[in-house]
Amino acid sequence: MVAAVAYIPYRHSSPQGASGGSVMGLIYGSFGFAFMIFAGLLGARKKVPVWRLGRAQTWMRGHLWLGTIAFPLILLHAGFHFGFGLSRVLMWCFVVVFVSGIFGAGLQHFMPRLTTERIPMETIYEQIGRVRSQLVDEAAFLVEQARAMLTGNLSDASAEQRAVAAGAGTMGGVTVATGLNVDEQASSDLQEFFDRKMRPFLQQAGARRLELADRATSQAMFRQLRLLLPMNLHTTVDDLENICEEKRELDQQTTYHRILHGWLLVHIPFSYAVLLLGAIHAVVALRY
Amino acid sequence: MSSEGIAAKPVPQSITLTIDGKPVTVPLGTTIFDAARMNGIPVPTLCHQQNENPVGVCRVCVVDVGARVYAASCIRQAEAGMVVKTNTEPLEGVRRTLLELLMADHPSPCARQQHSGDCELEKLAAAAHIEHPPFPRRTTPRGHDDSSLAIAVDHEACILCDRCIRGCDYIRNNWVLARRGKGYQAGIAFDLNEPMGDSTCVSCGECMVSCPTGALTNRGVVGTKLEGDLVDPEFLLDLPVFKNVSGNFLELNRNAVVERHFRAGDIICREGDFGATAFYILDGTVDIFISSPMAHVKTEDSSTGLLNKLRSFLAPRDRHQRNGDPSRNSIPIDAPIDLPYDKRVAQLHAGELFGEMTCMSYYPRSATVRAATDVRVLEMLRNVLDIMQRNKSFREQLDRTYKQRALESHLKSVPVLASLTPEFIEHLKSRVELIRYLPGQMICAQGEPADSFYLVRLGFVKVSESRPGGDLVLAYLARGSYFGEIAFLGNTTRTATCTALDHVEVVRIPGDDFRRMLDEFPEVRHKLEEVAADRVAANQQRLTQIESVPVDQFLNQGLMEAQSLLVLDLDRCTRCDQCVRACADAHDGVSRLIREGLRFDKYLVATSCRSCRDPLCMVGCPVGSIRRRNSLEIIIEDWCIGCGQCANNCPYGNINMHPFPVEMADPEHPGRMIASTRLKATGCDLCTDHAEPSCVYACPHDAAHRVNPPQFFASMLKQPTPAKGGV
Amino acid sequence: MTRRVRTTKGLAKRMDLQYFTHSHPLRRWKMYLSVAVPVIAVVWFFSQRATGQKVYSSGPVSASHAFFGKKCELCHVTEHGVFRKEVSDKACLACHDAPAHHPTLVTFTPTCGSCHVEHRSSLRLAHTMDAGCAQCHTDLKVKTGEVKFARDIEGFDRHHPEFAALRPDATDPGTVKLNHYVHLQPNLAGPKGHNDPVQMTCQDCHRPASDNRPWPYAKQIQACPTETGAPTPALQTVSATMAETPRDVSSRAYMQPIKFANQCAGCHMRDLQFDKRFNESVPHCKTDVVQAFLVKKYTEYIAAHPSAMSEPLTPNRVALSSLVQLPAPPKTREEWIKWQVANADRLLFDKGCKLCHTMVQGEGPIPTVAKSAIPVRWLQHADFDHDAHRMVKCASCHARAPQSRKTSDILLPGIASCRGCHQQGGAMHDAADGRCSECHQYHEWQNEQVPRKDFTIPQLRSSAAGL
Repeated sequence: MVAAVAYIPYRHSSPQGASGGSVMGLIYGSFGFAFMIFAGLLGARKKVPVWRLGRAQTWMRGHLWLGTIAFPLILLHAGFHFGFGLSRVLMWCFVVVFVSGIFGAGLQHFMPRLTTERIPMETIYEQIGRVRSQLVDEAAFLVEQARAMLTGNLSDASAEQRAVAAGAGTMGGVTVATGLNVDEQASSDLQEFFDRKMRPFLQQAGARRLELADRATSQAMFRQLRLLLPMNLHTTVDDLENICEEKRELDQQTTYHRILHGWLLVHIPFSYAVLLLGAIHAVVALRY
Repeated sequence: MSSEGIAAKPVPQSITLTIDGKPVTVPLGTTIFDAARMNGIPVPTLCHQQNENPVGVCRVCVVDVGARVYAASCIRQAEAGMVVKTNTEPLEGVRRTLLELLMADHPSPCARQQHSGDCELEKLAAAAHIEHPPFPRRTTPRGHDDSSLAIAVDHEACILCDRCIRGCDYIRNNWVLARRGKGYQAGIAFDLNEPMGDSTCVSCGECMVSCPTGALTNRGVVGTKLEGDLVDPEFLLDLPVFKNVSGNFLELNRNAVVERHFRAGDIICREGDFGATAFYILDGTVDIFISSPMAHVKTEDSSTGLLNKLRSFLAPRDRHQRNGDPSRNSIPIDAPIDLPYDKRVAQLHAGELFGEMTCMSYYPRSATVRAATDVRVLEMLRNVLDIMQRNKSFREQLDRTYKQRALESHLKSVPVLASLTPEFIEHLKSRVELIRYLPGQMICAQGEPADSFYLVRLGFVKVSESRPGGDLVLAYLARGSYFGEIAFLGNTTRTATCTALDHVEVVRIPGDDFRRMLDEFPEVRHKLEEVAADRVAANQQRLTQIESVPVDQFLNQGLMEAQSLLVLDLDRCTRCDQCVRACADAHDGVSRLIREGLRFDKYLVATSCRSCRDPLCMVGCPVGSIRRRNSLEIIIEDWCIGCGQCANNCPYGNINMHPFPVEMADPEHPGRMIASTRLKATGCDLCTDHAEPSCVYACPHDAAHRVNPPQFFASMLKQPTPAKGGV
Repeated sequence: MTRRVRTTKGLAKRMDLQYFTHSHPLRRWKMYLSVAVPVIAVVWFFSQRATGQKVYSSGPVSASHAFFGKKCELCHVTEHGVFRKEVSDKACLACHDAPAHHPTLVTFTPTCGSCHVEHRSSLRLAHTMDAGCAQCHTDLKVKTGEVKFARDIEGFDRHHPEFAALRPDATDPGTVKLNHYVHLQPNLAGPKGHNDPVQMTCQDCHRPASDNRPWPYAKQIQACPTETGAPTPALQTVSATMAETPRDVSSRAYMQPIKFANQCAGCHMRDLQFDKRFNESVPHCKTDVVQAFLVKKYTEYIAAHPSAMSEPLTPNRVALSSLVQLPAPPKTREEWIKWQVANADRLLFDKGCKLCHTMVQGEGPIPTVAKSAIPVRWLQHADFDHDAHRMVKCASCHARAPQSRKTSDILLPGIASCRGCHQQGGAMHDAADGRCSECHQYHEWQNEQVPRKDFTIPQLRSSAAGL
């Protein structure tokens, strides 16, 4: 509806070399600038979310619509000339803001769904570092328990493994080697796997070049690991694999989140520049 | 034989008999054992205890009286001219066999032997050099009973000597213990073979003291060491509250009660601390109060944080009134008296007990206690408190204290009784009973005739109604709450079931009495009827709002328990954190929602209060600061002391403890204030002070919704859409 | 299967509650950039400003002003107060003179800038857009009196009225009779007579002044005495005779005025023959000069041929038609001269001169020739340049000329002919430029003053810092 209103004056006032300084041009310019200021206020509105100044959704819609309309208004204001010097820089900044805004709006349309579908174990982005270190600890603990089992040190093993050991016929703390599959070699192999492959992968954010970063490779590696370890530890291996999967998903989430929010790094600074330069431009143009 | 014989003939006053070749003269009626003992001749016994009537079941004390069979010396009366031999070789053999038989089933070393080395059986066995009994051990286990707080029961070690039974019945007259079963199933039992802790056992300790083996032993409370001066049991026995408690028991429990001295101004205990002891004031006066400032845990009811901070700085409110709420004018605490809201301090005097709930149910301390004068207190562990509480004289004292100090304010807090005159209340006071209930015990059942009115003095009562889909918990009532006022109307049945969640003590007013009194006060009756009708209507309304529950995958996440969920539509959410920021803005900078949780379909069920139908968070609050209003939301009042029970109880992690900066009295420099932090519980209160929850309001992409789960997910669950309001 | 279980409480416990208050690279960079980019922009702006004011410019100046483009203050003068530095008319008038347009009639005078838009790069400033003219002419109001012309002219395509000269009842005011149709017929009798048939073309008579080829039908004839008595050259340039001379009109724009000596004499001197005895024509001059010539001629003849006195008087054809009776034989020489002259007069004034000219009764006995009044320039208020149209066939625009038989026909092409190529949209519509400024002048250049000439080169060229 607003767009229709903007078009009618356009038809009336074909830019007859009428520049921004003419009456129509000034009207366009003022409205365009006013819309831009409102659009910029969205950031301020977000700082005081509880003030009952209108729902955030209304502001967002307003931001999108008015921002979109500001673009043709400014184009009309300039008579489609890009100008020179300040006007040119300003116009280009504005184009950057507009294009990045459209781009961002488009991203926001499908990226959330993509993230939801592809990352079942999503968490809060800012906390990924914290969760990651918790994963490292969890994996280390699992490995330690498994190793305890493999070296016959039952007191450190998990309750489950102790039950298994008991089922295998141990009493007290005495192991029966054949029943329990004590395997020193496997234990050190497991530790090596963890130290060389898994821990670096888990600790590093976005470790794309490491082997475990690829799901197929990871599956293969864990399959190998299962061959190495006795049956009763396979659930532990499953757990470790799940931890790696979670880490992969968190890396993926980081990427998606950066895409989803990265455009703001262009949109917001340039919009500040536009507002500032626009104000200067208004002053300067009216002066001369 | 003996008693009949004695009754028939005229009896000379003393008789003479020979024991082990030694002539002894004893009064008529003396048993051989006593006769021997009186003359320094020891006879081994197991089932005989001198202060109990002999029963002669163990046969260890058998002596040779020249008859065909050996006589049990503990029960056989001495006769004139009897020739008694106590230690012949055959007798040794007999005793040995007996001991071997008993030792075969004995879990040596038994508990008593381990702790104090005085298991009588093992001592005898050791003296008889019995190391490996030749008989096989019995195959069926006899079990343990650890339900009592004070006494551990190990049936494996029981030799069925009957001492405990006699001690409980004849000496203490508690009549709890008895025999049960036959043959291999024989054993001792409490009441009707109930676990000892659930029985009417009063933990006097007589049975334990009587038991020769490790079948009944003293339990210490593990890991608690009390500081303070150990108390002489003699001293304790002098106290009226410990009357009729076994001195031996107290002796054995020396470490469980200590006497402590505090100077005026010393802090005895702090609110929010965890503890395991109760305090009994011997003399002196203490101040009991809540020191957490009343602030910081409420939804701002004006729109901005900055302005409100300015305003609260310039014109602080000292009372937070929520809309539509009758004002709470007292705060229930774990002491004989409640604290008034406006001035949160009270005093306790000699003879009063505080900290019961902490000691018994391990709740955090509900208030801070500081000595007002120099005080002497007894600090005791649970087993001693248990003894006290079951002690009749203590109960009477407790009754008196409660009636004097707290009952009136409790009664007044019941709206229907608020307008009663003092005379009426005095009358009522005399009619009340204090009744205790054990955890899980039902106080009144749905559908029963309503005959009594109850006030909760201690513990938590769950009020639930059974419905087709399951039980619906209507409320958790804490100290100071009441239920059952429908009884006042007469001829009604209970609309809900009330169950004790932990150790509960209630004040019961029988309905009949009350109704009779009401005849004199018709306006009170009228008011009662109104209130009762309101109650019924409110309950009914609440029930009709909840549809019949479809049992399906919802149950996995517990979503059907929820009445209000915060769901984030993940297809629209850009993970911008505006909801979290808005929530924090509206709530003192602490967010009440976490944008993490399990997913249901495309929605993320955020970690934020779900207003569960069965609010587990409300169980166990020592000061009753977490409660649910008539509407849905759960609020945490501003006197929360930060103990963390609610946070632990919530199965979803929706309540979090958060440190708030407060000003409080500097303990080192009295009169000055220092900045410090206190933990307080924080949870989502559905922003009822605003038109719409702040998180929903602030989401720029319309992705956050507060929904009622069955309605919202109705289409997804493929159930017929529930109609609103009708069932 | 993995035993790792995700519960709400477990997940929630992983989080730090205050995470959103801590800074994070994304947020930090957002802030850094939000400060950095505007700062850079402003710094850039001020640095540009320090090196000259070009940064303020909304477009390059036009080519004609570019040479002092760096000196903004020459045009942007501070006039009212300190703030506004708009361009005032005074600044323009410092170099240019712009004589007012209908000074007595206009209701307002637009500013220079409202029509001449600068900072549009290399437009020709003088080629204003129609809107500038339209601001008055779409609803014309004059200060005094009624509007004499069209009230509502928006542009060329629709609202521009037909040319004034071609008003419905307008006629060619020229008194020299010409039948274009006849002249354009083939096989006309040429200068050498009927044996010399010619086919005339438009260019034989109509040429712009820059065309100095010899006229095909010119003839050297005797010059007539001007009022001052000085002889006038036969071939004359255009500008001296043009009324309301436009500025910088090239000599190619307009056709030279028609002169008897240039375009007519070659064939039509014959029409000035007056007597078989004389093989010459009278001079193509005023009637009194012709009369004097006749008298002189006959006087010389009778002096040389006194026997002619006795020859019978033979009136010429023309005289015959008005003769009542034969004249009596002259008695004296004067009578004979008088009668001969009168005879010749009849032939000339009633036929010879009258063939082309309109004779009017003068003060004396002999008629005079009406002033030729051939409009040299038909469109007084618009510039037309034939040279720009040189590729077009004459008859393509002057369509009526080949068929025109009457002198009164106005052979000027109407506006419709112009609209065939010129449209308001001009080059945008693949047409010739139809803007007002294409043909019309706003400023009344005849009132032009000499502009101020006191700028020095440094004043125009050095770049100043800051305004």
